Formats: sequence, structure tokens, C-alpha cells
Amino acid sequence: MIRINAYKRQELRPWSSCLIFLTAVMLSLGVSALMLKLQGKPALEGIALLFKGALGSRWSIEDCLIKAIPIFLCSLGVAIAFRLQIWNIGAEGQFALGAIGATWAALTFPGQPWYVLLPLMAIMAFVGGGLWGLIPALLKLRMRANEIIVTLMLNYIAILFLDYLVYGRWKDPSSFGFPMTLTFSENAIVPKIATTELNWGLAVCLVCGVAMWVFFRFTRMGFELKVAGENLHATRYAGLPYEKLVCFVMIVSGGLAGLAGFLEASATINRLQPSIMVGYGYTAIVVAWLARLNPLTIGIASFLLAALRVGVENLQLELQVPAAFGGIMEGLILLTVLAGTFFNEFGIHLRRRS
Amino acid sequence: MSRRFTVILCCLALALSAAPTMAKDFQVGFVYVSPIGDAGWSYAHDQGRLFIDQMDGVSTAFVEAVPEGPDSERVMLNMARKNYDLIFATSFGYMDPMLKVAKKFPKTIFMHCSGFKTAPNMGNYFGRMYQARYLSGMVAGAMTKSNILGYVAAFPIPEVIRGINAFTLGAQAVNPDAQVRVVWTKTWYDPATEKEAAKSLLDVGADVIAQHQDSPGPQEAAQEKGVYSIGYNSDMSAFAPKAHLCAPIWNWGPFYKEVVDAVRSGTFEPKAYWYGMEHGIVDLSPMSSMVPAEVQKKVLEEKEAIKSGKVVVFTGPVKDQDGKVRIPAGKAADDGALLGMDYFVQGVIGTTQ
Amino acid sequence: MNTALIVPLLAAAIQSGTPILYATLGEILTEKSGVLNLGVEGMMITGALAAFVTAQLTGQPALAFLVAGLTGAAVGGIHAVVCLWFLGNQVVSGLALTIFGLGLADYLGTPLIGQTAPGFDKLTLPLLHRIPGLGPVLFQQDVLVYMAILMVPLLWVFLEKSRWGLHLRAVGEHPEAAAAAGIGVLRYRWIGILGGGALVGFGGAYLSLAYTHLWTNGLSAGRGWIAVALVIFAFWRPGRALLGAYLFGGVMAFQLRLQAVGTHLPSSLLLMLPYLLTVAVLVFSSWKNRHTAAPASLGVNMEPND
Repeated sequence: MIRINAYKRQELRPWSSCLIFLTAVMLSLGVSALMLKLQGKPALEGIALLFKGALGSRWSIEDCLIKAIPIFLCSLGVAIAFRLQIWNIGAEGQFALGAIGATWAALTFPGQPWYVLLPLMAIMAFVGGGLWGLIPALLKLRMRANEIIVTLMLNYIAILFLDYLVYGRWKDPSSFGFPMTLTFSENAIVPKIATTELNWGLAVCLVCGVAMWVFFRFTRMGFELKVAGENLHATRYAGLPYEKLVCFVMIVSGGLAGLAGFLEASATINRLQPSIMVGYGYTAIVVAWLARLNPLTIGIASFLLAALRVGVENLQLELQVPAAFGGIMEGLILLTVLAGTFFNEFGIHLRRRS
Repeated sequence: MSRRFTVILCCLALALSAAPTMAKDFQVGFVYVSPIGDAGWSYAHDQGRLFIDQMDGVSTAFVEAVPEGPDSERVMLNMARKNYDLIFATSFGYMDPMLKVAKKFPKTIFMHCSGFKTAPNMGNYFGRMYQARYLSGMVAGAMTKSNILGYVAAFPIPEVIRGINAFTLGAQAVNPDAQVRVVWTKTWYDPATEKEAAKSLLDVGADVIAQHQDSPGPQEAAQEKGVYSIGYNSDMSAFAPKAHLCAPIWNWGPFYKEVVDAVRSGTFEPKAYWYGMEHGIVDLSPMSSMVPAEVQKKVLEEKEAIKSGKVVVFTGPVKDQDGKVRIPAGKAADDGALLGMDYFVQGVIGTTQ
Repeated sequence: MNTALIVPLLAAAIQSGTPILYATLGEILTEKSGVLNLGVEGMMITGALAAFVTAQLTGQPALAFLVAGLTGAAVGGIHAVVCLWFLGNQVVSGLALTIFGLGLADYLGTPLIGQTAPGFDKLTLPLLHRIPGLGPVLFQQDVLVYMAILMVPLLWVFLEKSRWGLHLRAVGEHPEAAAAAGIGVLRYRWIGILGGGALVGFGGAYLSLAYTHLWTNGLSAGRGWIAVALVIFAFWRPGRALLGAYLFGGVMAFQLRLQAVGTHLPSSLLLMLPYLLTVAVLVFSSWKNRHTAAPASLGVNMEPND
């Protein structure tokens, strides 16, 4: 009988995370190919179409980048929260509140010049998302309420709140009763970069990414955060301001997701409507876990998962594959990476037992 | 592991290098907002697609469950870049994205369903479903004993409100005491919620359940309670044979064929197409045998009258829930008023929120 | 809202709450063994799909119900593999399972949208259903409702009164001590996860076999998450889970009936009620619960030793 024994590694190998990630992606692709086969679709052609659809041409890469913007911002926020072991599942709802905040600014001050209106919208978006993140933080600190459930429920509530506004007081009178706000004025739309389809939201991502890197590398609070996340019990004894950290983390987390909402509403759709919600908040969880706290890897992972979404659309068109295919792959990648991370810390021996 | 990897790489290379060698078929693309199997809205459109797929030299493709907004824009861009000749987008929210894409691809023809914007290469289209709703209302009004009709509705948008109003007017035409109660589910397709909504209407005494939903959930509820139901989008009698009386249905096939022919022959006009029963785009499904013969006769006579134009459904006097006259006596509401309908007529209990 | 509507509302509450009850009981079992499984939504919907497909293929709803349980257990098994063998973070693994499960069910189930499957219909218990008030509420339900109610005392007996239940709870409270006493920690956690997964799968089966006879993407509609919250509300006790599940079923059914009666409240706000209530209930329970009733070792993986 063969017995599998695990032993703890003495040195951690730095390249192992990368290897594990790659293996996980390959494995997921393999299982997904199997899924395609199950539905009677050509498996390898399907995977090829996935790549071609996402990376096969200039405009598809642009599409990936555009989609990566909200994913990146949400993931940044979620990653910060995860680092403190705060399980922020509420990026969807915080995204929605951000979009609502930005829309309020856009609808209330349409005449302001863009250098006033756009920053105002961004601030209101950050405030909206941040507030929505603060609520579960306070409930956790004061009432010991599990933030997983609270943030999740707030997601549903936020989406319904968005519906309420868009069906009611904010409905565009010329939209024939359909639930959408007025199209934002020119000043309220984040412009595109030169002749590409990309918008200046990319710059926002860059700024936020750098800010986060600086924060964790050079500031005291960043250091405290990292330490607190490692060992929650020691935190209180060490005198670290746990409560302050939690609130800070959730406000920033929610605010970043809110910014993503602002960019989607302003640059991509140019108004607020229910279909702004496409699940970026949940994808952000996958990215945040895969990429940990490094803004660069978060950026790469965001791009990859955005590429997955774009590729799946191509798959839909060519092979009539249901859209849920993307969700399967996302879940699979995360599961395989989770399992694979085991090998970072442990190796296995195969021993024969007589 | 590495062998599989190599195989994948090779296939990738092959796929990327292979040039598509397709005959120059007339390519038509469809964008659906929900899965086609829902026996509802998208299903009806897909039946239309299958109809034109059979035409010579025409090939069709579709993408289903496309969220409105930037994703739909990308899907349409994708189709246009692949040199599709004609693209149909079947949900209101696709309107602005389609307009953006239409501007970039002047050679492609775009048709948007249930919207109101046009461009030199883009038209919009819809069907006068309210006519069929009116007829179904007549059936419901004749069959109800409690005079309470239940309506399970998805979203308070004009087409749904218009349908409810037409249904009510039809019911009141044969039964002036009939009232219609409305419950909003805020979903197009969720059998569980729709069924629960139907049950809540049954609990307040409704004995005919109608719906503006894409699943047969409400039909199930009606059959379980032993009362009647009116389907939608397609004939739903298979789901509730003991309850289903009739259904207002879509028949997009002949219209799609008309558009394809027009584009191919160069006679296409980018305008608003709003055809009614006379074109066959909407219809009432065959009524079940539970409907008494004289009622069926009356309904069919009314149907012919509407088709010939003798009867126009939204003709005044029509009052709203507060008693205010919205359509004056003798006048027929124009298309603009119909497209933007946001009030309920008298006899409807519910809010348009 | 007049009194004549209370009875149908209660009956609807029970039907609406039954899938949540199954799921809550399942998650209680899992968490009692010390494992946090957030993949309830994913297990529920795959169970629902499996039940639907089986019922369609075989025409045997009872078989379909069992298959749903097996499917739920199998999907839960993935969580067990990732967390128990590979020491994956339990929270993230559960989330991944939800994303994966929802995607899988949507993907495989899309061709089935719009079809029906034979399922369970309501039974009418003779004589009992004539009792005014209680009669239609309790005695005119389908068999799966009664089974769910039966599960409550069964689970309680297992957890509190049986030797296995004792070991399971020990593993959840103090795994090191249990291991020292010779109780197989991994073994009982597997039981907790698989058993819990099966119950959650049963809840899914209820949705596609009894609640409606149709399939749709997203049939579970967040009920799995409400179940996770209800476990906390129930203080990890099966009896309270019953109360919580029916309460929630009632709220979900209530807002629709409010509309039917005729209200001016916007429906978007009414639809928020179940979720607001979940938050309120959770906050209240957590706040009241100074000395936590949660298993002490919940969510913590045990490192392997050789």
C-alpha cells in the first residue's frame, strides 16, 4: 500500500507560486475543455477561440484592458481587506454605491466644467462606496457580526437600491419609461485616450496601484496592516490599532470599488442603468486571492480574468457556448490555486508500507 | 501534462493561422438578452431566426444572455467586424450600444427591437402585442367568476404597462366588473418568484392568472390551484394543460424574412416598424377547449375586426386609475402616447413603480 | 392585509422556507465539525440541477431527490479535498465553490431552460387538513416539506445524543484534544462536509422538484447565503433553524402578497426585506451572543503531522 506523507518545507521556494498558478490555469483549461466536450462542442478549437477572442487582435486587447479597469480597482480594494483577514465580499454593492454617488454628482451639476465635475464624481463615488464598506466594518467591530454575510446582503440591497433610483426619481423622462438615467453631459464622461477605445480610467488605475504600493512599502499604517494580518491575536497585545485599521481598510476597499463604479458609469455606459452590474465584484475576489497584495500581479491577474470574459464572448458567438462558461473557469482556477498553494509550504513523500 | 500543453499550443497555432474560407452567405446575427430556452421572449425571436435560417444563401448566428450595456456593444462590434450583413438586437437596452456600432459600420444594417432610435443604417421594430393582449383579456373577462384577474408582471416599463392596460380593456369589454391586480417580480425569468407571485394573486381571489414573464411558473401555480391561466410569448399549454386558456404570442419569422429580403434587394428603409396582427407578427394562440364556443367566436370576430382596422384597441374614452381621462372619447391614441404609456387604466389595482 | 390572507401566507412561508431549512441544517452539520463551507449556494444549485435532470431522465422524483443529495455531497467533497487535504483557506475555498457551482449549473443547465420535470405535488393528509387555520398550513404540503421537518429532530439526536455526534462536535471544538483521544479529526470533518453537502443538495432538489417544476439559471437566488446567515441566527441548533427558515420564507412570500393586496410601496424596496432582515437578525444574534455558540475551531485547518 502506498502511503502519502506530507512534510513541511524548510525553505520556501519563491518561484513556486508562479509555477502553481500556471499549473492551476492549465488544469482549469483542461477541465474546461472537458466541459466543452460534454456539451458536444469541439474542445481544443474552443480553447483556441478563447485565446483568439481575447488576444487575437488590437481591438480585443483594448477590450480586455477596458474590462480590466473595474476589475483591477475592485481587486485592489478586496486585496487590502483580505490582507487584514476581513472577508469583504461586498465589492459588488460598493461598486453600485459608487456608481450611484457619481451619478448623483453628474445629474445634479451637469453644467460644471469637466475639471470640476469629474473629480466631484470621483469623490462622491469614493464616498458612496466607502460608506457601504464602513457599515459592515462597524457592525463587525461593535456587534461582532460576521462581515461575510453582511457584505453579501448589502450587495443585494445595493442593487435593489440602484433599481429603485433608476426606476423612480432618476428615470430619464425621454427613455420611454425604461429604467435608465439621462445620458451624462459631455463634462461628466471620462474621455477616451487618443484614438483608442481605452479611457483615462487606466490612469486612475495606475495612480491607485502606485499609491497602494507606496502605502504598503513606506508608510507606518501599511506596515501595521501587514503585521496585523499575519497574526490577529498578537495585534491587540502589540498595541496596534485594530479597530482603526478595520475601518480604514473597509473604507478604502469600498471606495476603490466605488471608483470602479464611477468609471463604468461615466466612461463605458455614460449613464446609470441596472445592467451596469455584471459581477466584477465577485471576479475581484478571485483576483485578490490569486494576486495577494502586489499591485503588479493584481494588474496582471485582472487583465487575465478580463481576457477570460472577452474570450468567452467570442466563444459564445462562434460556438454558442453559454456565458456561464467563464464562471466555471474562474471558480476552477481559484480552487486549483487554493489546492496548489499547499505545495508552497509542504512537499509530499510517497512511502511504501508493507 | 507537457504533452497536453504542446498539443494545445499546436492547435492554437493552427487555429490562428487558418484563414476562414467561407462562401459569401448572407450573414445575419442575433443578440438575445436571455437564454433561448426560456420558452419566452428570446425563444420566440430564435424561432424567427430558425425560420430565416432555412432561406437560401442565408446563414445565421446568435449570442444569448448578453447583458445590456458595454458587453452588448462588444458583441455587436464582433459581429460587424466579422462582416455580418444584418444584425438584430432584441432588447431595449441594446439601443445606444447598437447606435454606436452602427455609426462605425455604415455598410452593415442594424435592426433594434423595442427601441426608438434610428440611423441611416439602423431601424427599429416591434409588434403590437397589445392587440393580442386585448383579445386575451376578453377571454379572461369571460371566464372569470370572481371578477379578479391576476397579472404577474416583470418590470414597470411601457410595453408591460401597455399590455396590462390592453388586457384590462379587453376584459372590461366583456365584463365591466372585472378588475386586474398586478404584482411586480422585477425579473424576466425566475420560475420560483413568478410562481410565488401568482400564488399571492391567487390568495387574494384571482381566478385567472396572466403574465408578462418568460417562464411558465405562473401557469403552474394556476393549474395547482385549479383555476385558469393565460400564457405569453408562446403557447404555454404544455406546462399547464388544465389551466391554460390561450396566450398572446410572437411570430417573428415572416417579419425577419421581410427584412432580409429588403436588405438583399436594396429596398431597406431605416425607419420604425411597428406591425400588428394584420402582419401576423403577433397573434393569439389557439384557445383551449375550456373556452366556450360563443366566447371563442366573439374573440375571433374581434380579432378580424382589429386586423382589418375596424377596431383600434386604445380608443377613448380611457381613464386612468385616478379617474382622469387620458384618451378622449372617440379618439385613438397615437403611437407616441402608446410607446410612452406610464399609467394604469381604471380597473387595475397596483402601482407603476 | 386581512386575516383571510394569513393562512395562505403561512403555508407559503413553509414552502418558501423549506429549501432554506435543508441548507441550514446541512451547514450546521458541517460547521459543527469545525469546517466553514461557504459554498452552500453552489452545492444547492448543482443539487437542483442534478435532481431536475434525473427526474427528467427517469421520471422518478424520489430517485432525483437522492441524486441531488449525492451531488451536493460530491461538490462539498471538492471543498473537503481542498481544505482537509490541501489546507486551503476555508473561506476562499467556499467562495470559489460557489462561483464554480453556479457557473457549472448555469452552463450545463442552459439547454434545459423552459423544460419541465416530474416532481412532487402536494399531499393532503386526510382529516388533519380540515383543521381550521393549521390545516392548510401544516397538512397540505408535499412530502419533502415533512421530510425537512423530520430532519430537525433527527439532526438534533445525532448531534447531541449519539456517540458519532459527540465525536463530531469534539472535532469541531478541540481538534487537537480529539486527535489525542484517538478520534479521527479528518474523518469526522469529511462526514460533516459530505453529510452537510447532501442536505444542502436536498434543499436544491426541493427548488426544482417541488417549489417549481422548472429549471432556471440562478434558481437558488441567494438562498444558500441566507442559510449561512441562519446558522448563526440558530446558534448552531437545529430547532432554531426551523424557526429561522420559515421566518425567512415568510418574508420572501410576504412582499409579493403585499403587492397583490395593493400597495403604493415601490417593489424594489419591498424586495429588500429578506436581505435587510438577514442583516438585522445576524447583527442581533451576534451581539446577543457574547459567549459564542460557534464551534471553537470553526474555520481553522489542522496541519498534518506524520
